[in-house]
Amino acid sequence: MTPPRALPRIVERSLRPVGGRCYRHCDQPLRFHALRLGGPGTGWVLACPSGVVSVTRYVEWGDRPPTARLWRELRRRTVPPTLVRRRDLRSATRHGPELGRPAERDLARRPGGAARVVYWRLYPFRRRGLEHRLFVCLRHGRREAVFFAAPTAGEVPRCPRCGSAVGPRRRSNP
Amino acid sequence: MPNARRPTRLTLVLADWCPHCVPLSDRAGRRLARLLRVPIRRLDIDDPRQERAADRIVRQFGDPDPDYLIPQVFLEWSDGSVDHLLTGFSEQVARTARAWNDLLASDWLRDVRRGLAR
Repeated sequence: MTPPRALPRIVERSLRPVGGRCYRHCDQPLRFHALRLGGPGTGWVLACPSGVVSVTRYVEWGDRPPTARLWRELRRRTVPPTLVRRRDLRSATRHGPELGRPAERDLARRPGGAARVVYWRLYPFRRRGLEHRLFVCLRHGRREAVFFAAPTAGEVPRCPRCGSAVGPRRRSNP
Repeated sequence: MPNARRPTRLTLVLADWCPHCVPLSDRAGRRLARLLRVPIRRLDIDDPRQERAADRIVRQFGDPDPDYLIPQVFLEWSDGSVDHLLTGFSEQVARTARAWNDLLASDWLRDVRRGLAR
């Protein structure tokens, strides 16, 4: 068994997220923020300028998907932890031919293992008649991003750990 | 001939409502099957009978999860082996499209096709 490790650089480049827009929320361009998620691989969270999370992704090199470890890491960073459900974590194996020729040729020289990706996507849900979405507070640094759910309408959501308003600062009326 | 195995069938696990699947993977899968000279099998996860076959191939050879990602693409061979070729990219449809383009232009496909021509 190959112990999990960081991705070969050429594969990481091939898997680097590309642009997109915030789907069914604000249609603003998504931003990609690198996160440390407890393993040797690379984590990213894709969020709009308001802090609404589109998807969180972790990828490493190994024999099996790091789903269980990621689940534990995400629960540690999420308020409440029960927001992270096992069924919302989905894995994908990237072999090489679908990553472009440079990555394919590099991987052909590396027997054993594959790029193992795990996605966490929490779809919007309604609570007390209000639509809630997943937000991320990045004021805690790359190691300690905080995920939480909040209504998308009304006041700017505040991080339950640091109390900071999440998303772009709004100008107050004069 | 020492290595006489040949591809026999391409299987696509998908759903009609999924934009990574239809029309993108449906079309690209047909093209790949044509290049490999194999029939294509579509397994729609919303059809109970096809869903059972889809769950089986995903569980045995693909990326299995309680609510697994689609599309997933598999190539079956004459010696009974099955290769998992591709799982959709959850980031966005354009990224799945890029993966199909790369797969169709890959050294792997070129080598398999060379084997077919022998």
